[in-house]
Amino acid sequence: MPKSMLLEVITPSKLFYKGEVELVIARTLNGDEGYMAGHTWAVKLLAAGELWFQEAGSKDFKIAAIAGGFVDVKDNIIIFTDAAEWPEDIDLARAEHEKELAEDWLRHPSNDDSEVSRAKIAIAKSLTRMHVKAGGHRRRR
Amino acid sequence: MATNNMRDIKRRIRSVSSMEHITNAMKLVSAAKLRKAKNTFEKTQEYFHYVTESIEEIFHHTNEVPSEYLKGNREIKSTCYIIVTSSRGLCGSFNSNIIKEAARHIAEDRGKPVIVAVGGKGKEYFEKRGYDIFEEYMLPPESISFLETHDISKPIIDMYNSGQIDEVVIIYTSFVSSLEQKVRSVTLLPFEINRDPDFPRLEQQVDYEPSVEEVFNYLVPKYVEIMVYGAIVESATCEHAARRIAMENATDNARDMIGELTLYYNRTRQAAITNEISEIVGGAEALK
Repeated sequence: MPKSMLLEVITPSKLFYKGEVELVIARTLNGDEGYMAGHTWAVKLLAAGELWFQEAGSKDFKIAAIAGGFVDVKDNIIIFTDAAEWPEDIDLARAEHEKELAEDWLRHPSNDDSEVSRAKIAIAKSLTRMHVKAGGHRRRR
Repeated sequence: MATNNMRDIKRRIRSVSSMEHITNAMKLVSAAKLRKAKNTFEKTQEYFHYVTESIEEIFHHTNEVPSEYLKGNREIKSTCYIIVTSSRGLCGSFNSNIIKEAARHIAEDRGKPVIVAVGGKGKEYFEKRGYDIFEEYMLPPESISFLETHDISKPIIDMYNSGQIDEVVIIYTSFVSSLEQKVRSVTLLPFEINRDPDFPRLEQQVDYEPSVEEVFNYLVPKYVEIMVYGAIVESATCEHAARRIAMENATDNARDMIGELTLYYNRTRQAAITNEISEIVGGAEALK
């Protein structure tokens, strides 16, 4: 059995998750990365995406949608994010609705760059939510 | 005449006691809201330090920290004041304390202050006195989410980056206990940090991705956002605490008043009875 480490997922309003885990997979700005106990120390920025982790002694992955933030890998892992949701808390209809709204903004492009990037972020977030609700983008191994 | 007076007193007792009912109910409501707000406030406090710690850590372990967010790198010409008040009254001196502190800061400021008002009371005060309110937010503070405070902090950070403002000060009420709240002003930007030679060294090399600057430039605005969020949550907690106490005092006063009025009423009633008796006795004497 691989060694385990402490994972804490923190949002500004609450401690989202705390527990012993064996493997954490998070989406950094450069793509998905996995962390196990004994990883090189690092501070990395995270994009909006899925967060996977395998609790100590369990075969299954837990999955959550997070909205960007940073991961601090030391002896323990701390993930700080603006918002995090479990699949059961996600409202699929709302995510789809938000995605449509954002796509609508893009279809009528304005000159405002910040609006375009906000719409893109909104789409990424709703896509993540939809994927997470459906059990994750990746297949369960 | 006596009966007339008695009726007046009765009416006053009735109106005071209905006021007592209202203030008492408001006290209970505030107490419940205070409990809820305090809960959120305590949770945010717990995780606050992670971001500041990360910033300090990066600062102490790398040499290539971007300087634009640090103190002493630019002249402070115009300051942005974020003033966190409540939107509702009936909370004692809660708002006037903040406004007093804010007005003092602004009076000392020689430049043109940029005022961001969170909550209606602060906005009304400074608007009436001819200051420009750069932005205002009227959201009910107890249910505010982190993403909503984004809308407050984003334009401030943008202005700081573009050089329109050189300093960001937040003025809010900090929670000491349910009975005591203190007005605090905190300078958010530029970030004040000193090279502390005693800062513990890390045992291992830390990788920063995509780069140190980018991580740092992500963390500092995040720090501002979190501080703004924290201040609003804390101020909401204080508002409820202040209102609870104000309402408790009002209820106590109303009860005292009812007591006094009842005493007065009874005296007047007794006087009226004595008066009637002496009239009857006087009448009977006259018939003899």
